[in-house]
Amino acid sequence: MTHILLIEPDLLLARSYYDALKTAGHVVTAVPSAQAAVLAADESKPDIVIMEVQLVGHSGIEFLYEFRSYADWQQVPLIIHTVVPPNEFAGARDLLMREMGVTLYLYKPQTSLKKLLRSVAELVPLDIR
Amino acid sequence: MATAREVREIVPPPVLTQHLLLSVVEQMKLPLMSIARRAELGAMPGGQVDLGEIRVTADAAVQLLDNYILGVQLANQEVNLMQTEPVAISSVLHSAGQRLQPIAKAYGVRLDMHIDGKYGPVMAHRRGLEAALVSLGYALVEALPAQDAPQLKLQLSAHRCRYGIVAGIYCDTEQITTEALRIGRQLYGRARQPVSGVSHTSGAGIFVADAILHAMQSQLTTSRYHRLYGLGAILPLNPQLQLV
Repeated sequence: MTHILLIEPDLLLARSYYDALKTAGHVVTAVPSAQAAVLAADESKPDIVIMEVQLVGHSGIEFLYEFRSYADWQQVPLIIHTVVPPNEFAGARDLLMREMGVTLYLYKPQTSLKKLLRSVAELVPLDIR
Repeated sequence: MATAREVREIVPPPVLTQHLLLSVVEQMKLPLMSIARRAELGAMPGGQVDLGEIRVTADAAVQLLDNYILGVQLANQEVNLMQTEPVAISSVLHSAGQRLQPIAKAYGVRLDMHIDGKYGPVMAHRRGLEAALVSLGYALVEALPAQDAPQLKLQLSAHRCRYGIVAGIYCDTEQITTEALRIGRQLYGRARQPVSGVSHTSGAGIFVADAILHAMQSQLTTSRYHRLYGLGAILPLNPQLQLV
């Protein structure tokens, strides 16, 4: 069973993602903010993180720095699933992918639930699934 | 070379700027995504679709668009500004509350109403004032659950201030400050999250309300009241109406 940490600030969207991931057989912890995500990561030990970067207060990028600063979480696959179009991150793509260990960047308005579920399935190691 | 006065006349009022339009367009992505994902979920094996939630989400989005249009019409004076009328604040707050109730319920936010004291009517453009309050409410309803450990409660309320009466919407988000609003006004349409301490969105509801109130010669203000933080409209008291 895959443990997923979902960081999604919009409650209605979070419900849809939560339901879809749960229906697909995953265990999901959903949180709305970066601060709550750090605590949730500590408790739920996620196998994969799906996160929005546009959060209230601390941004998703701040969470990324914090998350990757712990040895235990440096290899956890991480999907950025955001309303920010990829071209707006074009200049920082290398930083995101190499230094912050972002595994995949998904533009939320163009990502169906099916595509999200497929991405999770592809990224989680077989021995965890 | 144009004089300062001529330049003022050429520069469109804030409600007509592309920045506000961009902000509204960006905001619209959220309800549309929400509806699309819900519909997709309903079509998945074992997935359930909540048609009520889809309807409420769409209705709230349409209301924001309508409020934006009203702001543009007010700024263009297509809606006659002289149609101000004596307005009972409690009645406007009540109507705004009723319009916000479905979306608040969808977001798990409780809406209360609190009118501190008795106020006579004020002269205002009723439709504009209600639209501004609904826009503000929509922005805050959506923003509250995204906060760290929020109390999911919003209060529609009115109280006296130095300049008259403030009718507004309050919550426990202490990041709603004059400075945050000032920076937000500078950034909206340019930054993706102009009031990043309050909302994860473009905050279009706040700026649509700002534009409507600006077009009505009123003002959006931040306000503290009973240990709550809020955004509201300043309504000047009319001494003659207070005698009514």
